[in-house]
Amino acid sequence: MTGEPMTGNRASGAPLLQVRDAAVHFGGVKAVDGLSIELTEGKIFGILGPNGSGKSTLLAAITRFVELTAGALLLDGEEYHTLPAARVARRGVARTFQTVRLLPGLTVEENIRLGADRAGGRGGADGVREAIERTGLNGLERHRPGELSYGVQRRVEIARAIVARPRLLLLDEPTAGMNQSERQEVSALMRELQKEGLTQLIVEHDVQMMVDTCDHLFAMNFGKLIAQGDPAGVVREPAVREAYLGKRWSQHV
Amino acid sequence: MTAWYDSNIILIQSTFVGLLTALSLQVPIRFGVFSFAGVGCYGVGAYTTAIIVIRLGWPAPLAMGAGMLLAAVTGYLLALVLSRLGGLYLGMATIAFDLIVTVVVANGGELTGGPSGLFGAISDVGTVHVALTSLVVVVLLALSERGRFGRRVEAVREDPELAAAMGVEVRYYRQLAFVISALLGACAGGFNVLLRTTIAPTDIGFSLVTLALTMIIVGGSRSWAGAFIGAVIFTWLPSVLEFSGQFQKVIYGVIVALAAIWVPGGLIGVVTDAYRSWQRSRRAAGPGDAGPDDGDRRTASPRAEGTPA
Repeated sequence: MTGEPMTGNRASGAPLLQVRDAAVHFGGVKAVDGLSIELTEGKIFGILGPNGSGKSTLLAAITRFVELTAGALLLDGEEYHTLPAARVARRGVARTFQTVRLLPGLTVEENIRLGADRAGGRGGADGVREAIERTGLNGLERHRPGELSYGVQRRVEIARAIVARPRLLLLDEPTAGMNQSERQEVSALMRELQKEGLTQLIVEHDVQMMVDTCDHLFAMNFGKLIAQGDPAGVVREPAVREAYLGKRWSQHV
Repeated sequence: MTAWYDSNIILIQSTFVGLLTALSLQVPIRFGVFSFAGVGCYGVGAYTTAIIVIRLGWPAPLAMGAGMLLAAVTGYLLALVLSRLGGLYLGMATIAFDLIVTVVVANGGELTGGPSGLFGAISDVGTVHVALTSLVVVVLLALSERGRFGRRVEAVREDPELAAAMGVEVRYYRQLAFVISALLGACAGGFNVLLRTTIAPTDIGFSLVTLALTMIIVGGSRSWAGAFIGAVIFTWLPSVLEFSGQFQKVIYGVIVALAAIWVPGGLIGVVTDAYRSWQRSRRAAGPGDAGPDDGDRRTASPRAEGTPA
């Protein structure tokens, strides 16, 4: 996208997104447990953590798909944790899902157009064309999701998320089901989008890709933040290795 | 042609009324709202129109407009009351609403004519009016199945959470489904009473729910065209099946069961599937069009050159 940068008006100095002491409890299960993070504009952030550590729940809370049990969410320094999900989306927060969610009755192009609709026309015909080209979906516009491989369906989701020129893009395991070259392409796309000012938060299990792609990593376990900072440093943290590999194995790696 | 029209005028008019009634159930289903309230609103529209024409002597269009307005308000209130319900529970609650309307009009005393209903709603309304209205409705609904609005409705039905992620206020779309359904139902009811001049509680009961549902199951619930096909079939089928006498309902049942099992998308679904399959085969045969899993196409894309460090 070579058009207008994906930035908005906001109080100077305030991070784009702030999550303050957020907690999401499902009965006795503390999926997210008093977690605070800040996303400054124009950077790529990543969340690492073993299965069940609360990464996807955090994304769902940020996009208002699950209610916070406690804490606050701020966009541009303004609290938004009482707004419905659709309003948050219209404020420029786009997301993809952990499992592919495309509309089976619509073509690839129509699925992407659905994302463009959100912006009230901002991502019109040109935007759709551009999103298709950037995600390498040329020639597949008229196919239906059921005719495509899982990796290609993932790219359609990404195209649908970026077509509306969001300010914050949340990607939940964007490269799951993709081969190595596809992963590299997605990683390159994220970098390109970053250059245009798009802030991104990625949940992903591919540690190498996260280290290569992200500017800042958060590591989670049991709903809490166990480390954050420079990606290479975070993956070397003993607490992160232990969360992924277990105490015994982490000492041997 | 004129002789044919004259001898089938009732069936022709009934086809259009049937189409509007079927659409009053098809529209909410297309929005993912399992509501049968359109049939109750058919009753609201029919009785309001009849009462106003007979008791107040208003012109037919005004009476129908009042009936549709009352039904729309009723539909909106129902949407608010039933907002937390979905699926079968919503279906049951809306059937209860239909039955409540039937009971209310059957016990409405002089105003609604009680169990025998109302007679003498005489007007100039004829085939041309119901046909033109149906045409306008169908054009509007066909447009609503396309473009931005059509995509959003598809999202609201298939995946409400995804729709919300796309900035769609799912709640408002569901309320809209109730209101459109109410307007269509009341329009059908209004026309029916003006064309037949009478209305009775037995005309708006459970049997009307069954008939309208049968039309959209056999015709197809995803498009106005399905409702049209169903309306034509089930308005004209009784005259075709006259020979079967008391077994007519059995034949109906068999047709519905076969349609539900073999053509779950309805007859219009068969046509759509055939068209898509033709499109696929045409794409496959087309020159220079790579398949979805074609690795060469992807690595040859310009972006692949700039892989990250």
